[in-house]
Amino acid sequence: MNRNWMIVFIASIFEVFWVIGLKHADGFWTWAGTGISMIMSFYLLIVAGRKLPVGTVYAVFVGLGTAGTVTTDMIWFGESFKLAAILLILLLLIGVIGLKLVTKDDGQEGAES
Amino acid sequence: MAWVSLFIAGIFEMFGVALINKLNRDRNWQSFLLLILGFGGSFLFLAYAMKTLPMGTAYAIWTGIGASGGAILGILLYGESRDWKRIFFIAMILGAAIGLKLID
Repeated sequence: MNRNWMIVFIASIFEVFWVIGLKHADGFWTWAGTGISMIMSFYLLIVAGRKLPVGTVYAVFVGLGTAGTVTTDMIWFGESFKLAAILLILLLLIGVIGLKLVTKDDGQEGAES
Repeated sequence: MAWVSLFIAGIFEMFGVALINKLNRDRNWQSFLLLILGFGGSFLFLAYAMKTLPMGTAYAIWTGIGASGGAILGILLYGESRDWKRIFFIAMILGAAIGLKLID
């Protein structure tokens, strides 16, 4: 895997961390961790977007983020498995990814030196 | 209230993303402050919505509103492409979000 795509992957892990934090953080350190995760996921996403096509980066990022969030919710936090909900989330995800992929990145690709 | 809050969070997110583009054009502290306020509001309302909604559902709808709202804004205000594929995916996102609300 290319180094820049690795950065996108790590960004999505931080994304899942802050989403968990937003729901479950209950003290100074957990909120601090949530804040740091937000900054890291943003920062890494921006760094990756300088070298890779932004629409594709965002599509992959949001896909991993959503999959990670739904999975940890069910595995670690005992959210019940509802097939209808999973299918609708999947449909929504296809919509977001599709939208990002058919939208052109206003010619900014690789413009940043 | 959780659903209303989630919707508001999505709207803030949409503006937050639009503000990133603004910050890339005008690098000044006003743009930066607006950006912080946009995302701050977005996270605040999302946190409130997630108190009762499942994490995965809330997160998916939040990004969905941000992405589709941003595209709708672009089409209406900035004359971005109205290609049928974009409209189709926007409709898919909104349909799925409404479906999630209905089965809740």
